[in-house]
Order: sequence, then structure tokens, then C-alpha cells
Amino acid sequence: MIRIQYQTQRLSMRFFMLMLVLFFFQTGFGLLLAAQHIDPTLLSGLFNFNVVRAEHTNLGILFILAGFIGTILFVGPLLSKRELAAPWLIKFLFYALVAVVIWNVLTQLLAQQGIAGWWLGQPWLHEGLEYLEAGRVADIVILVGFSILCYVVLRTFPPVSEWNEIHWGLGLGVLALTLVWIFGLFFIERLDLQEYFRWYVVHYWVEGVWEVIHISLVGFLVVLMFDARIKTVGYAVFWGISLVWLSGLLGNAHHYFWVGTPEFWQFWGSLFSALEPLPLIFCFWHIYLDAHHDRKPIRNMPAFAFLLGSVVLEQVGAGILGFTMTFALTNVWSHGTWVTLSHAHLALFGTFGMLGLSAAYYAVPRMRGIRDFDQRVGKLAFWLVFTGMLGLAFAFAIGGTIQVFVYRTLGLDWFGGDVSQAMQVAKLLVPVFGLVFAIGVGLLVYDLMTIGHRGHSATMQRGVEVSTVPATHGWRRLLTGWEAGIWLLGMWVFGAIITLGLLSFNLSGVRAGSAFFPYLMAGIGYPGLFLVTLFFVWRFLSSLAARVTVPAEHASAPQVVVAQ
Amino acid sequence: MSCAPGEPCEEGRKRRTAIGVLGLMAVIFIVLSFASFIDSRVQAIPDAVSYTDYDAVQGKRVFQAYNCMGCHTIVGNGAYFAPDLTKTYAHVGPAWLEAFLPSAGSWPTRTAVQVQLQKPEVAQEAGVDSIQAYFDKFPAAAERVERRSAHASTMPDLPLSRDEIGGLIAFMKYTSEMDTEGWPPVPQVAGLTFPQALPMPAASAVESVSSPASGTVSAAPGNPAELGKKLALETGCTACHSADSRAGIGPGWGGLFGSDVELADGSQAHIDETYLHTAINTPDAQVAAGFNKGVMPAYANILDAEQVAAIVAYIRSLGGLEQ
Repeated sequence: MIRIQYQTQRLSMRFFMLMLVLFFFQTGFGLLLAAQHIDPTLLSGLFNFNVVRAEHTNLGILFILAGFIGTILFVGPLLSKRELAAPWLIKFLFYALVAVVIWNVLTQLLAQQGIAGWWLGQPWLHEGLEYLEAGRVADIVILVGFSILCYVVLRTFPPVSEWNEIHWGLGLGVLALTLVWIFGLFFIERLDLQEYFRWYVVHYWVEGVWEVIHISLVGFLVVLMFDARIKTVGYAVFWGISLVWLSGLLGNAHHYFWVGTPEFWQFWGSLFSALEPLPLIFCFWHIYLDAHHDRKPIRNMPAFAFLLGSVVLEQVGAGILGFTMTFALTNVWSHGTWVTLSHAHLALFGTFGMLGLSAAYYAVPRMRGIRDFDQRVGKLAFWLVFTGMLGLAFAFAIGGTIQVFVYRTLGLDWFGGDVSQAMQVAKLLVPVFGLVFAIGVGLLVYDLMTIGHRGHSATMQRGVEVSTVPATHGWRRLLTGWEAGIWLLGMWVFGAIITLGLLSFNLSGVRAGSAFFPYLMAGIGYPGLFLVTLFFVWRFLSSLAARVTVPAEHASAPQVVVAQ
Repeated sequence: MSCAPGEPCEEGRKRRTAIGVLGLMAVIFIVLSFASFIDSRVQAIPDAVSYTDYDAVQGKRVFQAYNCMGCHTIVGNGAYFAPDLTKTYAHVGPAWLEAFLPSAGSWPTRTAVQVQLQKPEVAQEAGVDSIQAYFDKFPAAAERVERRSAHASTMPDLPLSRDEIGGLIAFMKYTSEMDTEGWPPVPQVAGLTFPQALPMPAASAVESVSSPASGTVSAAPGNPAELGKKLALETGCTACHSADSRAGIGPGWGGLFGSDVELADGSQAHIDETYLHTAINTPDAQVAAGFNKGVMPAYANILDAEQVAAIVAYIRSLGGLEQ
């Protein structure tokens, strides 16, 4: 299984490496933003905050896309049982992606001079809209790139009559990725209409397309890692995608509460986006089931750790934190504050970023032809990145709660003075956790770039814990379905506390100036949620790491019967 | 929702059912979307909003070109690094924005706002013509002047042109008129005086040189150029005129004194004391080529002769041919 079955799978390597480079720079820009939050005059005039932020969000999107493309190219031949179609187009796609990244990083700087490159009524150099900062030139190249991806995927796949659910998920996913992008290609005069269509791209990408690609890829990675049956996993993928689309299509309404669109969206948005966590709970449950469908040890712990991190942070960041601010009555407070940053960072990096990293840890050692590698660096990097991101989410959430109170309840709007002064502790926590995260990223990039190139024979098998007796009690014992359910329940209890805290901003006492209740609820809810998340992942991975090693290469070794 | 081996899973039928339900959702979404943008729904549209000579669509292009939502938020979307701009126009009014935007790196003074209010078109947009009435109508402008006047802001100076500023104000006027369904919620307590709030202590204003309205120059320092420098800051000159030779909204002051300049009507003028006195008191009487009439307000009613002389002395101290 260490061989690469299809030579064109190797084309995914360059996209994984590009992903790492972009991720590295994205983290760097994030650290710079944290520093500018503390000293707003830092690099002012040279790299203004808005430019650095545009680089940060755009590189975030591009590194996630590079990870998706890499993963799709790696699994495409396995799914289709044949080589990828048109390898030369994939090579072209890679260079186009590199060119568009460099072009876009440079054109964002023009925002400081107010040069958008207006021609034919369109901004060709940069657009100045959050998440859609790229100008038309880059937009069109990206559209061409997506079309190439669609062509390659659909030409590689078998005929539609032979598709399983994973083919359907990925096929529809890449098509929708391309179609939805088109809604961001027009300058719109009305602000409400512009926001309406901007969320077509942003919301439907994340909740309609990326999540579908995510579910399909998680499903297939589970098939690869655990030899799960493709039909069973495919059936779960079908349900996941159905739930995502049925809740997410109308769930987009939660972006239309306050942007100048009518009040009735508040009803539809509150109702349907409250259902959006359902597919995520389903996905969460399935990763538990699939990881436990046999009791074999995990051969590639970093790959599985990032996969688990992806599904768990999807649950916590997208599911629970998204749920807390999805009702019109809570969103009216969280909207436009740091509270949303907490959700955005966990959901975007957690769900999609970690998926690409998981796939890279699975695919890169295989493509370099190594059987075992030193997993310690990868595991350490996972924990640094995971705790760093949870810490960042905590800092954003606490800062955001204070911001809501000072800015909205007290009505103080001097950001350089009153507001940032009140948020100071949270603002200082951001670079602290940011540094933890960044160290993790540095390790990760180093590890994935050099796996198989640094004398691995000496460190072979290092970091793989070997035990011969299954743990029957304690932290490392088998994780049962009941226990996993209790952990999940614990997360949701804290999520409910957070929701009540946001809701309490409506109370007349709070509106009259008492911050006690919302601060108390946030002070319990956020740390509680993030600690439960941290401990759950620790527990899950410990239990897997304690699995009895049955060296596959020693087929003659006696099989150990795993005790329940 | 799992399918054990051997069970009939009927994926095809379920997939068709799911697509059917999805279609129903899509129909609901499309109907709601259509109802959101029909004309009978009264919502401000940028085509119909203008501020003096500028329209809001033009302003929206400026707003995007400078990526304003990369720091600010608009209808709550953006970067949370700086205040939401949706209702800013309604809160601070046009004269404050006119005074602030040319050099956003520092907060405008009372006089700087007053000077903008002298322009008839600005006064007309504001609906008031005295500074006191303006502050009563736009208390947020009064708060900004009182607390931050002449101090550095954390916003970078942007190279905004006169037209871009007008467009931006038009755009903010448009967003102020938008119905955003009650968002942002209106505070029910006065944060500045609320006992549990901890607003930054009111920054002590730069030592007040004089109260230009009263027209008395108190204890003029021995060096009139020093006084002029303070006055230039206090009365808003530096928002548009830099101390070096770079042109902003108006010509840079560095090296200006003693030079020859071509006027908009094609004639030549020599920049001396007389020229500068006229330029400050009645700027539209002589406009340098490349600049427009009506941009600079007349200072005749704001500054007395002694104060104008001090500012002229300051400009002279910034260098020029006759130095």
C-alpha cells in the first residue's frame, strides 16, 4: 500500500507544497495583524491594516483551495481506478495558481493609493470587498482555473452511471465551486444588493461547496485510512451533503438580517441556519464510527489527528459557535464584532485548513515512497496548531463580548481609545496564542517539506507508540460511543451557555448598563467549550494511540484479541 | 442513516427526493429574494442620493478602491478594526466629515468644522449654519471635537482627492438613509457619563492658542511663526496643506513663499504677503492652476488680521525664494 498506484497522483505534491508556503505566509500576515491591533500605527502608510488583512484572508482562501486541489488530485485516480485526465492542464493550473497568488498579493497594495483599476465599470486590479478582494484580472484567471479543475475531475471520473456517492459529492462540489464564483464578478451599485450577492459567493462556497467537498474528502480519507467500506461511507456522505444543502440553501438568510434586506429574512435565517449544525453532528458521529470500525492501530497519527481536528473544529467552530450567533436576537449583537472572528477562525482553518494538512500527511510520505516516518514532529505540530487556534478563538470571543458591551450597549465608538482600551487583555492574548500557532505552523511546514528527505531510516518508527496490552482503564482506554456522545453533549451545553450570554444583551438590565450577566456567561461558556474540545481530542487520540500494535509486516505474529 | 451491507440502500430514489426538496427550498429562496429588491419596498438606492455635486455610486467606487471595509465595517461586514460606517453620516454630519477626511491622521478641531460649515453647500446639506446648531444637531461631532480635537488618530492619511472625499460623503449619506431593520441597536445609556464605563480620559486639548471665535490672540509668543503653526493646526489648514511642497487637497506650503504661480485664469502671480492674505481671507478671488474654486473656505470671518499675519509668517518660515 506504500506504492503510489497511479503516476498522476504525484501531481498533487506540488499543490500540497504550495499550500504549505501560502499557509506559512498567511500565518505571518495574521501575526502582523495582531501586532497592528495593539499598535495601530505599526507600518502605517507602508502596509496599512486593510492591506495586511486582505492578504491574510485571501491567502487563507488560496491555501485552502490549494489543499483541496491537492487532495482531489491525489484521490481522483484512486476513485476512478485510472490516471488523471490531461496532466498538462494540471501543470498549467499550478502555474496559473502561483501567478494569480503573486499578482493578487501585489495588487492589494494599491488600496493604499485608492487605485482599483476601473475599466468598463469593473475594478480590474483589486475590488475592496471583504473576502472578494481580488480584482477582475485575478477573478477571471481563477474562473479559468476552476473550469480546468472541473474538466480534469469530470474527465477522470468514470461514466455517471457508475458514480458512487463520493463521486457525486466531488463532482457536484467542483461544478458548484465554479458556478458560485461567477456571482462575485460584477460591480454592484446598491450596497444591499452587493452584500446579497457577495454572500452568494462567501456563504455558498463555505456552506454549500467547501463543506460538500470536505464531507466527500473526509469520507474517502476515512476509507483509505481505516479500510472502511466505500459503500457505507458513501451512504453517510450522501446524507451529509443532503443535510448541508437542505439547511444551508435557506441558511444563507442569516447574512441578510441587517444589510438592508427585509425583515422576513430574520425568520428564515434563524430557522434554517439553526439546522446547519445537523450535518456537522452527523459528520462528527461518523468519524467516531469509522475510526472504530476496526481496532487496528493508527499507522499515520498526524494524518488522523488533523482529520479528527478538522471534523471536531467543524463541529465546534462552524456548528456550535455558528449556532450561537445565528438567531436574529443574538446576531444583532454579535454582528460586526470580534465575536464573529472566533467562529470564522475555528470554522475556516479548523474545518478546511486541517483537512488539507491531513491529506498532505497521508499523501506526502506515500509519494516520497517511505513506509514509516518520524511522527513526533507532526504530532507536536498538530497540538501547537490545535491549541493555538482554540486559544485564538478564546481571545477573539472574550474580546468580542467586551466589544459588544462597550460599542453597542454603552455606545462608545472611539476604536482607538475607548473600545480598544477595554479590549486590551484580549488583544494581548491574540499574539500570545498566535505565536503558539505560528510555531506549530513552522514545524508543520518543515516536517511536511522534509519528510523522506531527512535520514528517515535512523528515526524509523520513532513516535509510534508500541504496546502489547490494550489499556482497559484510565485516559487511554477504549472510547465508547456513549462517552463520545457525552463529550459532544458537553460541548453543546457550553454552546447553549454562550447563546444565552449573547441573548442576555437584550435584557433590560444589561441594556441599562450592567455587563455582569453576559460577561459571566461568556466567561463560563467559551473557556468551557474550548477546554472540552481540547480534552476530547486528547482523549480520542490517546485512546487510538493505545491500540494494540499488530505489526502487519509480521504476519506470523499471534493476533491479539482486543478486550472490550 | 446508515446502510448495512446487504441492505437495499436505494440511493437513487433518495437522491431524487433530496433534489426535489432542495428545489422547493430554492423556489422559496428565489421568491424571498425577488421580494427583497422590488421597487415597492422603500429602500434607499444610491442612484437617488447625492451630496452636493457628488453621487453615492461614485462614492461606492471610492469606498472599494481604498478597501475601507478592510478596517471598518459597513452594514456590519468588514474588519472590526475601526467603527462601523453605516450611520456615521447621520451621527457626525457632513461638515465634520469634510474636515476629517482630507487628513484622516488627525482629528479636526472646532474651527476646522466651522470653516467647512461656512461653505453654503455644506451648510445646506447639514441643514444648519451655525457651529453651535451643528453640534446640537450632530452630537457625535461635538463629542469628537471635545475629546479628540487636533490629536493624532489611528487612521492613516489617505491620498484622497477633493472628488473622492465628496463621493465618500455621498456614499455614507446613502448608507445612513438605508433601512437596516433597526441595526445597530441604539444604546440606552450614555456611555461617556455612565459610571461603570471607563472611557479614555478626555485628551487635554493642545494648549489653546486663542479662541478664534472671540478674535483675541492671547499672549502671542514672541515668534509669530510659532503662533501661526499652532493656528494652522487648530483652524484646519493642515488638513489640506502639507508643510512640504507636496500638493494635497490644496498646494503644499513648503517653498511656496516668494515663488511665482500660474493662476487658473492663465495669469501669473507672485506669492507674497498680500497674495497670501487674500488667499486666506477670500480664496476664490485667486485660484492657482490645477485647483478648483469653492474647495477652500473663506477665513475672513474666522481669523482676525493678526492671526492671518501669523499664519502667513508660518508659511514664510517654511522656506521659499526670498528666504
